[in-house]
Amino acid sequence: MKTVRLYLRSMKMLMKCQLEYPFSFFLQTLAQLVMEGGEMMAVILIIDRFDRVNQWEAGDLFFFFGIMSVTFYLTECFGRGITGNFPYLIRTGQLDTILLRPRGVLTQVLCSAVDPRRITCIAVGTVSLIIGCNLARVQWTGLKVLAMAEAVLLGAVLILALFVIEAIFCIYSVKSVELVNALSYGGRSACEYPIDIYPRPLRILFTAIAPFALVLHVPAAYILGKPLYAWPEWTAFVCPLAGAVFFGLIYLAFQKAMRFYRSTGS
Amino acid sequence: MRSYLSAFRLRRKMELQYRGAMLGGIICQVVFGLILIALYRALYAGKPQTLPLQHVVTYVWLQQAFFRMLLASDPDLLDKIRSGSIAYDLCRPLNLYGFYYARIMAQKITGSLMRAVPMLLFASLLPEGWGISLPASLPALLLSLLALMLGLLCVSALENITMAFTMRTLDPRGIQAMLNLLMMTLSGNILPLTLFPDSWQKVITLLPYAQLLDAPIRLYTGDVPVGEAWRILLIQAVWIAVLIALGVWLWNRHQKRIVLQGG
Amino acid sequence: MSYIHVDHLQKTFIIRKKRETGRLLREKETVFALRDLSFVIEKGELVGYIGPNGAGKSTTVKILSGILTPDSGNVSVDGRIPWESRREHVRNIGVVFGQRMQLWWDVPILDSYGLLKEIYRIPDADYRQRLKELTEALQLENLLRTPLRQLSLGQRMRAELCGSLLHRPGLLFLDEPTIGLDAVSKLALRDFLRWENREHGTTILLTTHDMEDIAALCSRVMVLGHGQKLYDGDLPALLEKYDTSRTVTVRFEDPETMPALPEEASLSREGDLVKVVYAPGQIPTPEILEKLQQAGTIREMTIQPQNIDVLIAAMYREMDL
Repeated sequence: MKTVRLYLRSMKMLMKCQLEYPFSFFLQTLAQLVMEGGEMMAVILIIDRFDRVNQWEAGDLFFFFGIMSVTFYLTECFGRGITGNFPYLIRTGQLDTILLRPRGVLTQVLCSAVDPRRITCIAVGTVSLIIGCNLARVQWTGLKVLAMAEAVLLGAVLILALFVIEAIFCIYSVKSVELVNALSYGGRSACEYPIDIYPRPLRILFTAIAPFALVLHVPAAYILGKPLYAWPEWTAFVCPLAGAVFFGLIYLAFQKAMRFYRSTGS
Repeated sequence: MRSYLSAFRLRRKMELQYRGAMLGGIICQVVFGLILIALYRALYAGKPQTLPLQHVVTYVWLQQAFFRMLLASDPDLLDKIRSGSIAYDLCRPLNLYGFYYARIMAQKITGSLMRAVPMLLFASLLPEGWGISLPASLPALLLSLLALMLGLLCVSALENITMAFTMRTLDPRGIQAMLNLLMMTLSGNILPLTLFPDSWQKVITLLPYAQLLDAPIRLYTGDVPVGEAWRILLIQAVWIAVLIALGVWLWNRHQKRIVLQGG
Repeated sequence: MSYIHVDHLQKTFIIRKKRETGRLLREKETVFALRDLSFVIEKGELVGYIGPNGAGKSTTVKILSGILTPDSGNVSVDGRIPWESRREHVRNIGVVFGQRMQLWWDVPILDSYGLLKEIYRIPDADYRQRLKELTEALQLENLLRTPLRQLSLGQRMRAELCGSLLHRPGLLFLDEPTIGLDAVSKLALRDFLRWENREHGTTILLTTHDMEDIAALCSRVMVLGHGQKLYDGDLPALLEKYDTSRTVTVRFEDPETMPALPEEASLSREGDLVKVVYAPGQIPTPEILEKLQQAGTIREMTIQPQNIDVLIAAMYREMDL
C-alpha cells in the first residue's frame, strides 16, 4: 500500500516537472499524435487497399491495432521509468543513488519517470478500438470486459519485462542493446496485426519467446468472437498469464544482474 | 574546406567505435524488415495488386537498410546547444552552417553505410519473395545512387534548419520529435509510399521527406523509368537550393543573437 | 563494540583493456582498489578521509554504504553487514555527493523532501519537527518553494544536505561537499556539519581534497593510497611530519638592515621586506627570532607555516602515490 502511495506521489511530482515547460510539452504531445496517427493511417490505407487479411476483416484489424496501441502506450506513459530511463540511470551511475535508499530497485526506477505526452497515442489507440468494436459489431459481456482488462494489464507487465531485459544488458555492459528492441518495438509492430497471418518463425518468436500473441491476441480474438486457432473460451483468460510468468523469469534474471552490479561497481 | 572535412572524419571515428551497438542495430532492423515483408506477403496473398510484390519487398529492405539516414539525431550537438558549450564552436573561425552540415552528413553516411552493407548482403541471400531484387538496370542503379546523394544533401539541409530553431527554443525535443515523425510517415518508412492512394502519392513525392529514400528506391526498382528520372532530380535540386538558402539565412540571424547575448 | 568496524577489507576490479589489433580476445587486468584495509570508527566521530584520486576512497564509501560487495574482509556498521541487509542499512545512512544531486531538478525542494519522506517512511510528526530544525540550521526557510534549478550552488548544497539528513541517519558520508562553493558558503556548511555532529551525535566520514575542510572539522584523519591505509591519527601530527619549512617576513625600522643568519636559512629581500625561509628541524625557531632582533629594530613581523596543500603534496610524494 505504501508502495502505491509512493508511486502516486512520485507521479504527481513528475507531472509538475513536465508542466514546467508547457510549450515544449505541448509540442511533444502533438508530436506523439503525429506519430501514432501516422501508424493508424498506415492501417487505414492498408485496409483501404487490401480490404482484409485471411479471416480478419476491417473491424478486426482496427481492434488488434487498438488493443496493442493502448497497452503499449499506457505502459510507456506510466512505466516510463523502466521503458525509457533505465539504461540512462545505469550509465550515469544514478543507480547508486537508488541503491542508497531503503526501497526496492524496480519500485524506485518505476517511480523515476512518467510520460504524459503519450496520452495522445493512447487516445488514437482508443479511437481505433472503438471503430473496431463498431465495425466488428462486438457484443460486450462482463466476461469480455474482464478479458480485455486482463489483457491490457498483463500486456503492460510483459512490456515492462521486455524493457528490464534492456537494463540487464546494460548492467553487463553488453553493447548490443538495440537487439532487445527487436523484441519490444518489433513485437509492437508485428502484433499490431493478428499473429496467425505470419509465418511460423515469427509466430514462435511472439508466442513462445515474447508472448504478445498469448497475452493480447488470444483474448482479443475471443472478444471479436473469432477464437484464435479455434482455441476454447477459457484460454482467453489463462493465456495472458504468460505475461506474468515472463515477468517473473526476467525478475529473477534482474536480481542476478543486480548482484553482479554490486560486486563489480560502476 | 579542410576543417569541414575533419569535422566529418572525427564524427566518423566516433561512429565506428560502437561496433557492438551496430550489430544489435542491424539484427533489430532485419527483424523489422522481415515482419513488414511477412505482413505484405499475407496482404498480397488475399488481394494481389498491380504493383508487384517483389517491388514492395525491395522497397522495405532499402528503407530498413538506410533507416538511420532518416533519423534527425545528433544528441551531442543538441546537448551542446542546450548546455551552452556551443560557445566554443562559435569562437572558432568557421562558418557554422558548413561545419554542422558536414557533421550531420557524416553522421548520416557513416551511421547508415556501416549498417546498410551487411543488411543488403543478408537481404540479397534471401529467397525470391523475401529478399531484395537487383536494380532494374545499370543506368537505374547509377541514377538512384545520384538521387540518394541529392536526397542526403536535401535532408541534411532540412535538419540544419531544425538545429537553427533549436538554438532559439533551447528545448529541441518537441521540434526534433515532430520532424522525426513526419519523416517516418512521409518518407515511406511506416508504409511504402508506393502503397499510398495514387492521388496522395502525387503530392507526397514532391515533399522533401520523400527525396531521401523514396525517390532513389523508385529509380532502383524501375517504378520510375530512366527516361523520367530528370523530374526526380529536378525536384531534389530545387529543394536543396531552397533549404540551404533558408538554413544559411536562419543561422546567420541566430548566430548574431547568440553573440549579443553572450556579452 | 565500535560503531564501524572494517577488517582486512579487500576489493579488486577487473579492467578490460582495449582490444589490440590482431588479438581476438581482450586482455584483462586485475586492479586492487582496496587491499587489506582495516580501521575502526567510534560513534560520533568526525573523520576526514583523504588520498589522491583513485586511491580507493569512493570504493570504501560504496562498501560502507552497502551498494558494493567486497571480495573479502569483514565490515560491520552499527552491528549490521551493509551489503547483506542493504535496505535496513541504508535507512540509517545519509550520503551527499558534491557533484551529484539527489533532489529533483524542476520542482520546489519542499516537494522533493515530501517524496523523500515517503521513500524513507518518516512519520508525519517526526518529519515536521526534523524539517523545521534542519531548515533553520541551514537557513532554507525562504527557499523551500523554489525549484532546485533556480538555487545557487551553495543553496543547492544546503538543500541536498537537508535532504540527506531528514531521516535522521546515524552515519553521514560526505563526498567533496564544499567543491565549487564560495568562502561564505563553505564556512556556513562547516558550521552546520559541526552543529549536526555535536547536536545529534551523527558520525561523519568526510572525503575531500580540500584540506581546509579537514583542518576545520576533523579531529582525525585517515590517508589512503593505492588501496592501503597510510596514516590514521590527528591532522597536526601528520602535518608536523611534513611541515619542513617556515617563512618569516620582517620589516625593519631601517630598510637597509640585513640580518646575519646561519647558512641553512635562505634570505631574500623584496622591497623593504626581508624574507627568511628555514626548516624548524634544522634551526629552532627561537634562534632565528633572536638573530633577527639582534640585527635591528623590528617594525613588523609574520611567521607563516607552509601551505597545507603543499604539505599534502609532499606527503603524497614521499608515500609514492
